[in-house]
Amino acid sequence: MKRVILAVAILVTSLAGVQAQKIKGSDTVLPLSQKEAENYMKAHSSQAITVTGGGSGVGLSALIEGTTDIAQSSRKIKFDEKQKIQESGKTVKEVIIAYDALAVIINPANKVTKLTREQLEGIFTGKITNWKEVGGEDVKIIPYSRETSSGTYEFFKEHVLKNKNYKSGIMSMPATGAIVQSVSQTKGAIGYVGLAYLNKEVKAIHVSNDKGKNYVAPSVATAKDGTYPIVRPLYYYYVTKSEKLVRPFIDYVLSPAGQKTVAEVGFIAL
Amino acid sequence: MRKIFERIIETILTMSGAVTTIVILLIVIFLFKEGFGLFRSSDIEKGYSLCIHADNSAERLTPEQIKQIFDYEVENWEVLGGSDEEIVPFRFDEIFSRYSDEELGEDYEFMPDKLGEVIRETPGIIAFIPTQYLPANRMGVNVLPETTITPADFFGGKEWIPTATPAHQFGVLPLIMGTLWVSLFAILIALPLGLGVAVYLSELAGEKMRNLLKPAIELLAGIPSVVYGFFGLVVLVPLIQKGMNLPVGETGFAGSLVLAIMALPTIITVAEDAMQNTPRAMREASLALGANQWQTIYRVIIPYAASGISAAVVLGIGRAVGETMAVLMVTGNAAVIPHTLFEPVRTIPATIAAELGEAPAGGTHYQALFLLGCILFIITLIINISAEMISSKKQTV
Amino acid sequence: MKRKQIEQTIAFTIFRLLGIIVVGILFWILGFIIYQGIGVINWEFLTTSPTDGMTAGGIFPAIVGTLCLVAGSAVIAFPLGILSAIYTSEYAGNGKIVRFIRVMTNNLGAIPSIIFGLFGMALFVNTLGFGDSIIAGSLTLGLLTLPLVIRTTEEALKAIPDSFRTGSLALGASKWQTISRIILPMAFPNIITGLILSIGRISGETAPILFTVAAYFLPKLPNSIFDQVMALPYHLYVIVTSGTDLEATRPIAYGTALVLILIVLVMNLLASFLRKKLRVKDK
Repeated sequence: MKRVILAVAILVTSLAGVQAQKIKGSDTVLPLSQKEAENYMKAHSSQAITVTGGGSGVGLSALIEGTTDIAQSSRKIKFDEKQKIQESGKTVKEVIIAYDALAVIINPANKVTKLTREQLEGIFTGKITNWKEVGGEDVKIIPYSRETSSGTYEFFKEHVLKNKNYKSGIMSMPATGAIVQSVSQTKGAIGYVGLAYLNKEVKAIHVSNDKGKNYVAPSVATAKDGTYPIVRPLYYYYVTKSEKLVRPFIDYVLSPAGQKTVAEVGFIAL
Repeated sequence: MRKIFERIIETILTMSGAVTTIVILLIVIFLFKEGFGLFRSSDIEKGYSLCIHADNSAERLTPEQIKQIFDYEVENWEVLGGSDEEIVPFRFDEIFSRYSDEELGEDYEFMPDKLGEVIRETPGIIAFIPTQYLPANRMGVNVLPETTITPADFFGGKEWIPTATPAHQFGVLPLIMGTLWVSLFAILIALPLGLGVAVYLSELAGEKMRNLLKPAIELLAGIPSVVYGFFGLVVLVPLIQKGMNLPVGETGFAGSLVLAIMALPTIITVAEDAMQNTPRAMREASLALGANQWQTIYRVIIPYAASGISAAVVLGIGRAVGETMAVLMVTGNAAVIPHTLFEPVRTIPATIAAELGEAPAGGTHYQALFLLGCILFIITLIINISAEMISSKKQTV
Repeated sequence: MKRKQIEQTIAFTIFRLLGIIVVGILFWILGFIIYQGIGVINWEFLTTSPTDGMTAGGIFPAIVGTLCLVAGSAVIAFPLGILSAIYTSEYAGNGKIVRFIRVMTNNLGAIPSIIFGLFGMALFVNTLGFGDSIIAGSLTLGLLTLPLVIRTTEEALKAIPDSFRTGSLALGASKWQTISRIILPMAFPNIITGLILSIGRISGETAPILFTVAAYFLPKLPNSIFDQVMALPYHLYVIVTSGTDLEATRPIAYGTALVLILIVLVMNLLASFLRKKLRVKDK
């Protein structure tokens, strides 16, 4: 018992002098923030950065409630989220830290190599249900989606589904890693993931945004020159009040060293 | 002095005696307060309104109809009881592609007027716009009255799309069905296996075997559910998919299997205890009458232990219904009403775990998840009370 | 007569087979995790932080976090639970109140852990404003284990024969003296056994800490009870489902799963060791 009390006492007495900040939000940005934080703390040992996921929506609502210092987001802040922050008398600042291309992935055993935006919309809204309708084998299409909290979910819905809802009862995975895993195991599967998550076990398809004239494969190069259609910025949001606390870290992320990490993790540097 | 001390002790003890009751009360209060707030919330996104052209006679739209409109599934007002006019869904963001920032003003002070213009120009429009930018000039603009989410929408709805805009879809039916299916099949799998092992342990196994197996089984009951979920994900899901040649491995069946494995130790332990409690006299009487061991087991011991066994089953179902992490990891989490067990399903606990983090505190989605918690709470309460009734019945017999 | 015998042989063979199958399945799971995880666990794995985007390094912060949570919830659940059990088994007699309390304790024990998560988030994190913190997580986990602590303590107290109570009271000791000097010391080993088992349970719970304390990545150890921590079960969940390179994190996942199993194993062994020691002493 005494030991327990002692342990608690040690926990309660907080050690002074450590600059703590919290980053919360998008699971897409999570690996990037984690690595940036890791490297940043190597150079600045007095800094402590906590990184938590949960989804872009989680991060932004935590920012509204004041329980996080930086909200990492894979979509732009929503109109009403901005409104809520302003209502509480704070001003929100937005920083783009990197870009990400969304790759549409299928199982390597699938013969299909290219799809148009319209076909993707049909697949994810449930209008197209068999691969033979888009030039593949007679296999049922199993679309995988992210959970509704995810910025990736929203971005894909806005830009590829043109704001239509996903088909009801779509498979929803708690994190992007799980989508890659499932698509690599499931023959009829199709899913969408950030470029950083691509690996040998899945095949990224070529996407056309002009009704089938040009199909473009997702890559850092095609995303940078603007030919690949599904590219989005990744954001950090913070309120001006905590500028002093968070700015050094954000500056580090934007610096050449930080942007090198961006490329290493698999995103597109600014 | 000693008397006072004794009294103080007694008061402290009495107060701690009440602690579980208080905790339950608190849980009920918090769960139900947040949960039932849902039925006072607007069924379209907070801070937004839906506007239609003044000539349009449509009145109340259900969340499902609104969703169909904005998904372009319903394309004519006639279907919804209006005049023969094509529906033109309009989302707020579209205003920025029609007017430049200058036209809208620095603080969007001209926004209401421009929105009013758009609505007046388009007879078939249904515009989804922030309430604060509602046109001041209501000429030709009809703001749909705000309606709240009804219990019918919630309990009867077949679609769970909590972040759909303009109207959230909180149809809880697929989640309840998913939860019950997965749990029931888990018990159907676990019960015969668990009973068999219990009979084996209680009646057939030698002393040495028992002493070895019982602690091992107890150990398995203590293994965290994430570990079972992890095992299910890396071993069972691919196995099910390949073995049964299914399009997907993450199915209700995978969930049932993992839950069955998790429920096994509980069922085995409780059922075995119940069998062990059969009075020696009853066994011996049965054997003395010429029954062999097997007849004694299924004519005497199992009937005697029946209430204990059914309590084990009910408790097992209770555990399965509330199990979160393992199910979240293996069932695919698709919110559809399941037709077979070999489809992905989404359960109530998994939904809460996956979505609560995202839902802004106090919002509609948050309330809906708490209401799910209430449903889960009531289900487990019913299950637990029936288990208690079953085992207390045994005492009176 | 013969048919009876054949029936019995068939039935028993089936039961034996079932026994083998089930035990086989259960040990398959254990064996699989141990086989995959054993190579990962070493001193470095247990004492370093995750590095390279969770694909390398160890799980030290998660171990520390879980220890914090276990300690925190023990501080809350153990005294409360033990006092509550003393009340119901020694003070309250056998009236309606006690039956009511028992039903409530049972019901609390049957509430799914995710509901505790919901409740903890609503009360501790939001209403009381603790935020995601050790204290919010410990309170939630503490309440979750309360019924278990109460039940095992009650059983331990009930196991003490009444003659000790009456004997002590007859010698002029007060009720509290009887309990504190006679009953509790006698029941102590059994109570401790129950507490140890509940520690095993606390350390593996994921759902209640999802929204009350768990962090994905936290390089520094917590400084105060208002800090977030990483925790083993949540860590396992996260590295299984997210991360850019699942193949590279798999070994760490196996290692983490094995550590979780080892914690439960050690707690169970400790508990049964104490139970045995107690029996020897009784004789």
